[in-house]
Amino acid sequence: MIGLISYLIFFTTVAAILSIAVLGLNLQWGNSGLFNGGVVAFFGAGAYGTLILGGTPQSAHLGGYELFYPLALLGGMCAAGLMAWIVGKLTIRLRHDYLAIATFGVAVAFENLMRNAEALAGGAQGLRGFERPLHAWLGDGFTYNAIFLVFVLILLIATYKFLEVLIRSPFGRLLRAIREDETAAQSLGKDPAKIRLTSLIIGSVIIGLSGGLYATFYAFISPQDILPILTFQIWAMLIVGGAGNNRGAVAGAFLIWGAWTASGWGLSRFAPLEMQLYTGSIQFILIGLVIVGMLLWRPQGLFPEKLVVSQSGRTKHVKNRE
Amino acid sequence: MIQHLVDGILVGSILSLGAIGLTMAMHMLRFANFSHAELLSIGAYCALVFDGVFQAVYAPLGNVIGPLSLTWALALAIVISMAITGGSAILIDRLVFTRVRAKGGELSMVFASFGVAMIIRNVLGLIFGLQVLLYSKDIVFAVVLSRDPFLLVKPDQIFSLVAALIIMFVFHLVLSRTTFGYSLRAVAENPELAQVSGINLSRIITLIWIIGGGLAAAAGVFYGLTNQINPVLGRDLLLPIFAATIVGGIGSIYGAALGGFLVGIASNLALLILPSGYSPAMPFLIILAVLIIRPTGLFGEERH
Amino acid sequence: MKKQAKHLALAFGLVTGIASYGTAALAQDCTTKIGAVLPTSVDWGKPIAATAQYVVDLVNEAGGAAGCKIEMVLRDSQVDPKVGVDAAKALVDLDGVQVLLGAVSSGVSMPILTSVTAPAGVMQMSCCSSSTAFTGLAKDGKTKGLWFRTFATSGVQAAVGAMVARDQGYKSVAIMYKNDDWGQDIGKLIAGDFEALGIKVTASVALNDGQASYRAEVTEALKGQPEALYMALYPKEGTAAVREWLSLGGTQNMIVANSLKSDEFRDNVGLKYLGKLIGTDTASPRSNSASAFVDQYTAHFGKAPSGPGLANSYDATMIALMAMEAAGKGADGAKVASMVSKVTDASGTPVTADVAGFKKAKDVLAGGGSVFYQGATGNVRFDANGDVSAPAVTWGFSDAGNKELSFISLTDVDAFIASLK
Repeated sequence: MIGLISYLIFFTTVAAILSIAVLGLNLQWGNSGLFNGGVVAFFGAGAYGTLILGGTPQSAHLGGYELFYPLALLGGMCAAGLMAWIVGKLTIRLRHDYLAIATFGVAVAFENLMRNAEALAGGAQGLRGFERPLHAWLGDGFTYNAIFLVFVLILLIATYKFLEVLIRSPFGRLLRAIREDETAAQSLGKDPAKIRLTSLIIGSVIIGLSGGLYATFYAFISPQDILPILTFQIWAMLIVGGAGNNRGAVAGAFLIWGAWTASGWGLSRFAPLEMQLYTGSIQFILIGLVIVGMLLWRPQGLFPEKLVVSQSGRTKHVKNRE
Repeated sequence: MIQHLVDGILVGSILSLGAIGLTMAMHMLRFANFSHAELLSIGAYCALVFDGVFQAVYAPLGNVIGPLSLTWALALAIVISMAITGGSAILIDRLVFTRVRAKGGELSMVFASFGVAMIIRNVLGLIFGLQVLLYSKDIVFAVVLSRDPFLLVKPDQIFSLVAALIIMFVFHLVLSRTTFGYSLRAVAENPELAQVSGINLSRIITLIWIIGGGLAAAAGVFYGLTNQINPVLGRDLLLPIFAATIVGGIGSIYGAALGGFLVGIASNLALLILPSGYSPAMPFLIILAVLIIRPTGLFGEERH
Repeated sequence: MKKQAKHLALAFGLVTGIASYGTAALAQDCTTKIGAVLPTSVDWGKPIAATAQYVVDLVNEAGGAAGCKIEMVLRDSQVDPKVGVDAAKALVDLDGVQVLLGAVSSGVSMPILTSVTAPAGVMQMSCCSSSTAFTGLAKDGKTKGLWFRTFATSGVQAAVGAMVARDQGYKSVAIMYKNDDWGQDIGKLIAGDFEALGIKVTASVALNDGQASYRAEVTEALKGQPEALYMALYPKEGTAAVREWLSLGGTQNMIVANSLKSDEFRDNVGLKYLGKLIGTDTASPRSNSASAFVDQYTAHFGKAPSGPGLANSYDATMIALMAMEAAGKGADGAKVASMVSKVTDASGTPVTADVAGFKKAKDVLAGGGSVFYQGATGNVRFDANGDVSAPAVTWGFSDAGNKELSFISLTDVDAFIASLK
């Protein structure tokens, strides 16, 4: 029993950390219509940033500033935001696919840079030597994981609330206006490019937070953690959960991560021995089918976007949006 | 340095073929198809199968043509493979992309293409295994083209380049001399007006997939001929082909052709400056440079 | 009423009787689970997992370990750290394993070690993780003696590679290495060794995984016309690079690491070009153990072991199970880990790496003695950090697979490394 609880705590922590990234992506895609093809780059910037700023000094590479943890985390988030600003500035005025391709390229280049720049980030060996916050007092086991889970959940709820407030705010109305009818918004004097850029940056900062927490949880990061597959996983979570709906984003994260781990567990338990060695490819095909199937059957996701009413009051003609 | 230039041109021809199909899809169908590069993999594996079949049926087909490692069987297999890959492209479009667009919109198709790419890659891995396969085990030695500057080229690469250029030239003739070519350009320019003049849009789209698939198949085989075949063949060429498309300008077929060569050359020349570990980042840096200097690429046009 | 009660009593008695019979039988038929997190969805990962399972089957044939049948629960790491870590956590928490085999990539083994096995007191044995970061971690005391790997540190491979170059009289060498933690390590180490020997390194080129063409890299490596080529690559990019190298007129003088000891590589390049290739590896064919491994493997799988990590995987699994035998039934991870030295004791009774050897080990351990395991990678001995150093061999390709060329004892290797400083 205790084993099951211990595993569930672990699983929930990872799912919650990934949910934060999905929430960030939801702001970019669901609310602003931006296709971020390189989620993992911003995730990685947050992760590496946090570990470089907060880690213990290592002879092999720079960093080890042992900054107070919240500052280290913020530093990682800023790195992600900066990266988003650069990419966004260049592509935000172009057609949508340009952003997709450019962010995809950023992700490839970032992983490549981290893999090669040993002096900066430990190269292919990755960054170790990070002491988890409060590790000295709480040890390493069940208690620590439970408390860390609470910490992550608090941040998740805070991010969720922040985003809910944001999309009900004037800024959120602007985003929706631009998404629905850009020309009309422009005619009212709004600058769509600037607003989309802001949205891109805020979303990326949130994704960076997720990366920072991830690196903290494993106390380790390497180029292996920032491969393109992560972008695919986060997208899958958003599509399945429901783009444009924060609750859907979180639900999608838990569902997909649950399905990913459960299918691995299930295949190892129930597939015959000869088949065991092919389960990896089979799992990828199944997941690809789930995604494509979802897009064919219910592209709005399991929890479709709800019409957000920003002003309380007379809403006689509330149309249900599909 | 000349060697790098020549290498770049040779590699670039493969990228050009892939980019032409991609740029048509991106322009006409308005979505970045992340699964386009997988068509190269399908083409390469398809040709491998038929190469074996033809050689089994009629042994003398196994003889190589001249100084190349290309066999007659493989030459025939390329044609078949182009047809089959074109067919697969249409099939995928009918099964997935058309339906997703109807339900979800353009950017959903981008994500669907991610999923399709993953499925294709792993299905190929399951069928053929994950290991490296080759059309021919023989190593064909490079020929010294000139001593000073020292220049080496492999006969297979010359063949790929020439074949690719011929294919592109044929396509150019089609575009500029045939009615079909005119229809294609008309649709690219202004779909609504083209339809008004009686062009059947869905037929054109089908043909775009066939052509794109066929060109991709040829590119895949040429790549397999000069390197090797494995399930991630497409995935590894995805970013360079995207770069070629962007350099040339989305929607411009000639731009894509030129873009392929430019990306090939730039990637090779980059090694003169950057340490080799950074090679995968090169296409991205090219994209970045294009976006800073001239976002619409060489021949593309501003379109939203 | 009375009749009903009688029936109930009868039924009850029958059930308990059967149940107790069942438990009595079960007491002899227990199963202990061990976990394995390996990249089965990668081409070179599958044989590593298959080898581990093979060892489990052999041990079960010998009567299991510590009185119980062994069941290996295999999970795919997908070479994705979060997937691997989750799999490891499930194995530890849900399946209750006390011994974990895995992973292959250091990027996966490390977070498993720091966030799952070390905190839970589970022993982790890796066949193939090469990063020097683990040594550092062990020195910092973070591994709690739970971490072992049957993968000889790259220092030995690099040193032997340099030794080969010196013995062959090569004055200049180009290095091509895989751009991951293992390759970067070896690349750096051997470059240093070459310099120390006065051999010129004309180029040191990184080959990234998943690249479309290595032509530019090979052209780079060809500059300066080196006398020989050193490669620390896996078969996939190794094949591409070598074919490109040869077709561009590169020399056939090659020195390679054990990662290229693969039939696939040999077949795809062609034996006729590999005559001058000398490979390095850690093994000890002086004892019968290494050739016994090859024979057994060939008999079971129908082809000789080829590809990286197989012998290491064999030894990792076998040593882990032997340590479990020594630790006794129901032992926890820390206890099993403490027994590893007992089965790799240089002064213990030598045992071979097969069913007979395992049975002999059982007897010796039952009698209170210690065992010296003679494995597929040689006489394995772990140092305080869970690392192994081992004697070395050089090998070449042959029609049948590969053949040993020379053997360098551990003392000679250590002496050579010392002389380079």
